[in-house]
Amino acid sequence: MDVSEDRAPDVNALIDALRSRVEDRRRSGAYPPDLEEELAAHFQRISLHRMVPNLDDLQSAMEELGRRAQFAMERTPVDSRVPGGQSLHRALAKLQSRQVVGVLAQVNHFADALLQVLGLMVAALENPNSHVHSDLVGQIDSVFERVAGYERAPLSAAEAVADLRHRVEELEAQERRRTFNPWFSNARFADEFRGTRAELLERYRDAAARFVGHGPVLDIGCGAGEFLQLLAEQGVEARGVELDADLVADVQRLGLKAEVGDGLAALKAVPDESLGGVVLNQVIEHLSQQEVVDLVLVAFDKLRPGGLMVCETVNPQSLYVYARSFYVDPTHVRPVHPAYLAFVFREAGFESVEIDWRSPPPEEEVLAVAGGDGPEAMIHDANVARVNQLLFAPQEFALIATR
Amino acid sequence: MEIHQVLVAASPGDAITNAALDLRDLLRDVCPSEVYARFYDARVADEVRPLREFRHRQAAHPEDNILIFHASIGEPEVFTFLQERPERLVIVHHNISPAEPFLPYDPAFAGLLDGGRRELAALARRAELALADSRFNAHDLLSLGYRNVRVAPLILDVDRLQRVEPHEPTVHHLDENVKGPVALFVGQLLPHKRPDFLIQAYHALVTYLEPDTHLIVVGASRLPRYATAIDLLVKELNLPRAWLAGRVSDGQLSAFYRRADLFFTASEHEGFCAPLLEAMAFRVPVLARSFAAIPETVGDAGVLLPADAGPLMAGEAMAELIGNDRLRAGLVARGDERVRHFNLERARTAVLGHLLEML
Repeated sequence: MDVSEDRAPDVNALIDALRSRVEDRRRSGAYPPDLEEELAAHFQRISLHRMVPNLDDLQSAMEELGRRAQFAMERTPVDSRVPGGQSLHRALAKLQSRQVVGVLAQVNHFADALLQVLGLMVAALENPNSHVHSDLVGQIDSVFERVAGYERAPLSAAEAVADLRHRVEELEAQERRRTFNPWFSNARFADEFRGTRAELLERYRDAAARFVGHGPVLDIGCGAGEFLQLLAEQGVEARGVELDADLVADVQRLGLKAEVGDGLAALKAVPDESLGGVVLNQVIEHLSQQEVVDLVLVAFDKLRPGGLMVCETVNPQSLYVYARSFYVDPTHVRPVHPAYLAFVFREAGFESVEIDWRSPPPEEEVLAVAGGDGPEAMIHDANVARVNQLLFAPQEFALIATR
Repeated sequence: MEIHQVLVAASPGDAITNAALDLRDLLRDVCPSEVYARFYDARVADEVRPLREFRHRQAAHPEDNILIFHASIGEPEVFTFLQERPERLVIVHHNISPAEPFLPYDPAFAGLLDGGRRELAALARRAELALADSRFNAHDLLSLGYRNVRVAPLILDVDRLQRVEPHEPTVHHLDENVKGPVALFVGQLLPHKRPDFLIQAYHALVTYLEPDTHLIVVGASRLPRYATAIDLLVKELNLPRAWLAGRVSDGQLSAFYRRADLFFTASEHEGFCAPLLEAMAFRVPVLARSFAAIPETVGDAGVLLPADAGPLMAGEAMAELIGNDRLRAGLVARGDERVRHFNLERARTAVLGHLLEML
């Protein structure tokens, strides 16, 4: 008996729409998988397999008990097959009647009390609250309510979890890019590429001399402690902070003060206007843009007026740097332009800001000028000078700022 | 000549009892007519006579008289009575519920239903005329071996409940405590009516789509164990807005229909399903599943879910009926036409017409 032709077309379209709506919600996870099957199985369990106590039978047994619990002397048989026995029974009963009536009264009394107790017990059985702890029922209800709440908002919860997971993955990826944990030692790396300790001591001797009268000094990223050593030689109170625990141990063995830690955190930890100097040698090219600007501002707060800050880094104005040194260190993030860095220091409030150019490329690397008085030679030499300036500008600069 | 009707059971508000009493009043214009029942509710004792009395009836030519038997369940005593009587026999088939869904809950009742079908088949040779209130039931009769089968609509006073004053405390309760949309089901809590499906669909609706919707389930159950299971299902799915109202008065039912935003039956077996038309008469949009005679009764005036649609799709359909005003308006308008189609006079004329052919 097909009646589909009776149905109005819009209802047919509606049925199709409803069907695809269910499919969409299933696919998106809004409807839990197998929900219909689980609901059907749940009802099967309830309706076919769960015990239902038969209280009706108990009730009718109680009624029957009530009818029988009536004790009376008249219900005791007095028949006898012995001639005259019946009269004898009656006479004996009459003699005992006072006692019998007394006993019967007690039995009836007891039976009534017993029936009452049984009645109360049956009533208690019928009322689940009396044998199921009401607190427990309340707790079960609240659990149901919470589960229903979660079921009601599966879309948003799933989306929120997916979003969080995505963000955590992104953050982890960023962190992986930021952190670099090589299996080789930083000391070996420094030996290979930064020069010997003696060379470094020689190189920074003049810079350290600037800090006389500017103690205490905080050397952020103190490495193997060359600058700290120079400061100590000058009698300037100083301590270093360094991420590499092996390097810190080396510094401490030299009798110098250093600790493992993050530079910005160490700087933040000292009282305002308590430092005479801050040193950042070959550090800021390892930092993020945000860390650079934060560090400058915090350093300003921690330096007392007249305090000195020296910040040495690679010079991005020298293209030679990119070819020879910058990418040798895999932990370099980006070079910082001296003009920008000077701007940041001035904006932070430093009184004077100057740039000291350092480490010009070796003479033999620089393009030679022809020398000569002819106009062609002069043009050639001017061009060479311009190319040299671009390619072979000093490899490093130190920004020297006074608060 | 006399025309009497025989029922297995009669109770107030029951569609078959009402149809029999209505027909009796019509027949009384023509000849003596009574309604006899093997079992009856005390509230209809003034209208219905006990079947045992029938034997004492004096009739000069009983073979000229007509007995109309309303078939809806098996009953050995009624069957024997019908087999042995000399009167001409007419069967009105209201359909017998399938036995299988009842087996796990009440094997004895399932046996009665099975017996009912066997008895109905055995009466085929005796019956001169068989009336079915749906084409679905007519097919059923033909498959049982009946020959002279006609379709005549159920004599149903669709507007009866409209004239019943809504029960004031119920109206007050609905106004005060029932906020949000209301879905209504009216029908006995029996396995083939699938109240479990209804509640699962409602669960999907309030959990994922329309959390504020209420469900009112009206109807008694003659299977205590099944009723307990339905009750437990509602509790365990945590559906505080579902109300298993049980058997209610006409006044309460009228209040429920007036408040309802949609009527949903998940039933898988109906010979006619009068509540669908009652809902339409109250201008409540109707949702049902394509089973048995339901598509015939609903016509184009409701949303019919295909038989393979699960509770989730039913939940979606309920949400659509709640939220889609254009759809609601369209269904209500078609419902009005449908109710006119099943009007009382047409049904009376059809049944009387078929009976008169026999004379």
